[in-house]
Amino acid sequence: MTDDAALDDELPLAGLTVLDVSSFIAAPAAAVVLADFGADVIKVEPPGAGDPHRTSWQNPNYPRTDVNFVWQLDGRHKRSVALDLKHAAGRAAFDRLLARADVMIVNFPLPVRERLRLRWEDVAAVNPSLIYASLTGYGESGPDRDMPGFDVNAYFGRAGILDAQRYEDGPPGFSLPAQGDRCAAMTIVSAILLGLRRRDRTGKGGWVGTSLYANGVWSNGTLAQAALVGGFITPRPPRNRPRNALANIYRTRDDRWVQLTLVREDKGWQRLCRALERADLRADPRFATQAARRANSAALTTILDAAFAVHDWLHWRQVLRAHEVTFGVIERLQDLPGDPQAQHAGIIAETNSPDVPRTINNPVRLGFARPRMAGPPPSVGQHTDQVLREAGLSDAEIVALRSSGAAD
Amino acid sequence: MRGLAVPDSAAPPDDALPLAGVRVLDISSFIAAPAAATVLGDWGADVIKIEGPDGDPNRQMVQGSVSYPKSPINYAWHLDSRNKRSVVLDLKQPTARAALDRLIAISDVLICNFPPIVRERLRLRYEDVKAVNPRLVYASLTGYGESGPDRDRPGFDATAYFARSGLFDAQRYEGGPPGTAVPAQGDRATAMGLVSAILMGLMRRDKTGDGSWVGTSLLANGIWSCGVVAQAALVGAFLPPRPPRERPRSALGNLYRTRDDRWIQLVIVREDKLWPGLCRAIGQPDLERDPRFVTVEARRARAAELAAIFADAFVAHDYAYWRDTLAAADVTFGVISRVQDLPDDEQAVHAGAIVSADNPEMARTIGNPIRLDFAQPRLAGPGPALGQHTDVVLREAGLSDEEIVALQPSSRA
Repeated sequence: MTDDAALDDELPLAGLTVLDVSSFIAAPAAAVVLADFGADVIKVEPPGAGDPHRTSWQNPNYPRTDVNFVWQLDGRHKRSVALDLKHAAGRAAFDRLLARADVMIVNFPLPVRERLRLRWEDVAAVNPSLIYASLTGYGESGPDRDMPGFDVNAYFGRAGILDAQRYEDGPPGFSLPAQGDRCAAMTIVSAILLGLRRRDRTGKGGWVGTSLYANGVWSNGTLAQAALVGGFITPRPPRNRPRNALANIYRTRDDRWVQLTLVREDKGWQRLCRALERADLRADPRFATQAARRANSAALTTILDAAFAVHDWLHWRQVLRAHEVTFGVIERLQDLPGDPQAQHAGIIAETNSPDVPRTINNPVRLGFARPRMAGPPPSVGQHTDQVLREAGLSDAEIVALRSSGAAD
Repeated sequence: MRGLAVPDSAAPPDDALPLAGVRVLDISSFIAAPAAATVLGDWGADVIKIEGPDGDPNRQMVQGSVSYPKSPINYAWHLDSRNKRSVVLDLKQPTARAALDRLIAISDVLICNFPPIVRERLRLRYEDVKAVNPRLVYASLTGYGESGPDRDRPGFDATAYFARSGLFDAQRYEGGPPGTAVPAQGDRATAMGLVSAILMGLMRRDKTGDGSWVGTSLLANGIWSCGVVAQAALVGAFLPPRPPRERPRSALGNLYRTRDDRWIQLVIVREDKLWPGLCRAIGQPDLERDPRFVTVEARRARAAELAAIFADAFVAHDYAYWRDTLAAADVTFGVISRVQDLPDDEQAVHAGAIVSADNPEMARTIGNPIRLDFAQPRLAGPGPALGQHTDVVLREAGLSDEEIVALQPSSRA
């Protein structure tokens, strides 16, 4: 697979119309992926402030800067229509958009959907061939179906991931902003594609969906499956007393971290000893077998701690690679913009957005298409007129919607 | 798993399933790519897993990995191989490699995560496979991408998804070590990216009749998942390491330990509304009007002091007490569940995350996260024994009994 593979003239999702009434990140990010590959994504948001996510960049948990970098990432390619769905005329206009859409993405809490008549059964009455994609925090039924979900709780907390990331006696791990949201987004995309596949074969629309919680449990699937058969693991011992010194992290002289992950251990151990120039270790009976290394992991860790601290990480990266020792360097985000591998992996894309000239691509790679280049993301209601006209509303109707506050 | 007779779980495809009739050749190993095949199988695809004579190393993880809970049941194998049929082919042998071409010729999707150098050696690059079956969707998973300085490095999710992406580093407490991940955490998330890619390839084939290359990498999925901070990095903005719990940015968005060593994550978004309720909930109503803490700004400025007050309050009672007391006061908090809590979590069943299995060793399994109203995922059978379906699958591909016998691998399990 090379960069000069033939590209289709048309993006794979060209011609698909997606109505995105969702907010924040997980569901809107799924809409971004569809838009990247050619879908026309119409974002319906409340007049005035629009999607509350437009101000997330000022959240204290977000990196501080003076451009709305998050909105570039989560709003790209979308056309914004500001409609008040609680207003009768606004809702009527929305139904006109619904009638022409292929996909609708929704993440309102279920009681809100009932109030706004935006459940699948309400929408199917207007457009029975629509694919209705639903995201919830915890699922569509059950004791917690009405609980709003943030990924830190629904994906990471509730699924047991944060607790399982503990060191003995230590606090749980924590997640980064929207870390689980964007994983759930790929599930929403897959679900929508399955719905479209079925529609292509049957003509029927349908409901598809997922929850943050289901994605968290899936991601924690190994430990969750073990739990279902009564298998548990004790909290991770501290770094200086690991279960396996060859699957542990070590600090370098310049305060970087090397992560050893020797899966095929016997080979890996030989190579590591050569890389460390420690033939004595290879001969040391305390570390001669896997069982011995496990039994003496604290002693081995002390030795490896001392060894790694002698050189900078650049030295280790070179040496470990040369000796084919599997490892990861704990990279810092500071290095991402200049990372040639990120470029090769198609992770970073140029934009036509002067404030945010480079962005993060979705993870899907296709030999027949490249994602669309993104311009600046829309302001609230930037495309209201254009989109409503496309839906067949007259100028008079649009003016009336505006003056009543139902649209903007 | 050795020697255990398992019922043949290759049920005929269900016509109502969206991927009924799609044949997937899974020549991948470990978790990320095979888990994508599992999802396709859940939704009706016929998944044929090609393994070498020693089998997929994932068969050994429960027994061999220190980070896996121990069990006499090979739960990891069942989870990742449900409903797959296992065919053993030693692809280094020319006759076996030729037999694989017969399978490629009748398949719709091929999933591959061999390192590039191995694909070259085995003639399993896209161009090789396309020559045999131009209609096939070739799905490639790599650690770091298909080109570039790291294209030949083997990728595990701990290294490629979490470490290389900057995720682990960004999860540090000030002065502390990098963050950690649970086994296969990034693998299974990446699997959903690969599923999306495959479905786009199938969609395009429906339109054009042509197969294609599709793919993804652990690194791309790791960086996508930390998209907020990665996008920030691209504009030169960074988060400082998280301050320790004793000196948080906000005491109202912090972690507190309970008497029974559980954790409550306060997540208070609308502070003004919830501050009074919180003070009452911790049994200190006077705190609400304490001049030290009366505004949002004041609480931020004195976050350490306030965190100490909360820490003392929370450690005085057990988790169950706090769960009920905070809920009654409408104080939002995040549940830090333990994985021990999952098997009894009714909501997990409602979310479709825990499902029944048709497996005498393992009555319940973890559902893939896709939900459809027009289909239920296939009932999960046991993971196959090594080579359990070699004969029947090769016969389906048109090999004669003589040809099959001639393929006996040099070492049989």
